[in-house]
Amino acid sequence: MGIRHIPLMLALALALGWLAPAAKAEQPAADTKQVTATQQNNEQTVVKGKVLGVSQKAKTITIESKEGLVMIKFNDQTTGMEYAEKDAAAIVKFIQTGKEKMATVIKPKLAELPAGVVEMQPTELAELVAMGPVKANYFLIDSRPAGPYAAAHIPTAVSIPVETLKKEGATALLPADKTDIQLIFYCGGTT
Amino acid sequence: MSTTSAGLAVKMGYKNIKVMLKGAPGYKKAGNMLVASDEFVKTGNMVLIDLRDRKQVETGHIARAVNIPLAQLAEAEDDFPASKAAPIVLYGSEGEAKKGAKIIAGWGYKGISLVDGGLEGWAKAGHPLVTGKTDDEINWVRILGKNEVGIAEFSKVAAGKDADRVILDVRTNDEAAGGRFKNAIHIPLDELEGRLSELPTNKEILVHCTTGARAEMASQLLQKAKLPAKFLLANVECEDGECEIEE
Repeated sequence: MGIRHIPLMLALALALGWLAPAAKAEQPAADTKQVTATQQNNEQTVVKGKVLGVSQKAKTITIESKEGLVMIKFNDQTTGMEYAEKDAAAIVKFIQTGKEKMATVIKPKLAELPAGVVEMQPTELAELVAMGPVKANYFLIDSRPAGPYAAAHIPTAVSIPVETLKKEGATALLPADKTDIQLIFYCGGTT
Repeated sequence: MSTTSAGLAVKMGYKNIKVMLKGAPGYKKAGNMLVASDEFVKTGNMVLIDLRDRKQVETGHIARAVNIPLAQLAEAEDDFPASKAAPIVLYGSEGEAKKGAKIIAGWGYKGISLVDGGLEGWAKAGHPLVTGKTDDEINWVRILGKNEVGIAEFSKVAAGKDADRVILDVRTNDEAAGGRFKNAIHIPLDELEGRLSELPTNKEILVHCTTGARAEMASQLLQKAKLPAKFLLANVECEDGECEIEE
């Protein structure tokens, strides 16, 4: 499969409908004869997950998704390669041809905030850190595992890995004041 | 992780909750410094640098520190570990620590942090100081990561002295044409998924490429297929049929 076939495949994929549901491929085809190889080959599928690695030499991205590890190839036509960064969360659309998966579009997977929770920017936090937790009335929590916290964390942060918070609950770990004090959480990025 | 924790806090009845989505890397990127925990400074596997002048250092410094005065830091690049992932902890005056961090970050090191509160914070927390001279050389040995194989172990297999393991070379055909390890199986990374049946199932597979990036991806793929695998995180260069490994 040469690179020059990709634009044609893309065009076909677009014609067939962007984002065909993944389940479609699993449905038993009622009329197998009608489903041509071309149609099957141009199904767009989406995988979401953490980027485990990107190799420029093998032109391959590895994604850890809920379904397990997926290897996807990329080429000059693949857009959004800047989001295929190691350890970042990404959404990759790809076309499957035989065993080969070819990425078409890569987008960052944005974290969803729980209702009522607001995003804070690093500069805003740096101003609070400069004042200190007492004066600025905040409680800063590092949700990563203990190892990365020990090596490098934001000054004044307390280490409460997400697993610990789940197990031990708030009473022992978080401040008694639930209304006024500002609770600020962070981790290793958008994971 | 942070959004999950924030969700838990919402359920627990907290009203004023924020999340810094950009995380510790984003905080650093915005020009702010990170700090190490005191316990890590005492016992962690890291490089500890005292950036003050020699005289000050001799009156009291943190155990395990290496003294490189800020004025001499720019010439000391070659003394630092080969691995840019090495955790490096700095202290000195606030100005010295910040300037030092900038220089070392410029060399490509990713894991730079400061002693929390500097030497003053260290003393305030009741931690001891050592007088006299510090070590004058950085002696840092990388601890192997998960599923990593060491150079010595790998070399044994490459020399044919370990029959229980095999080497898998995942470089491209062009790269492999320059030379290969003896007895290595060669399957380029992008073909690996379709050629798993060519690999033995009763031997541990040690994967290499030219740096370790592709080897790590390949070993993850093998583990998913329930094949025992490790990867070599080192530079491999092959010329005229001979291959060399370098940290």
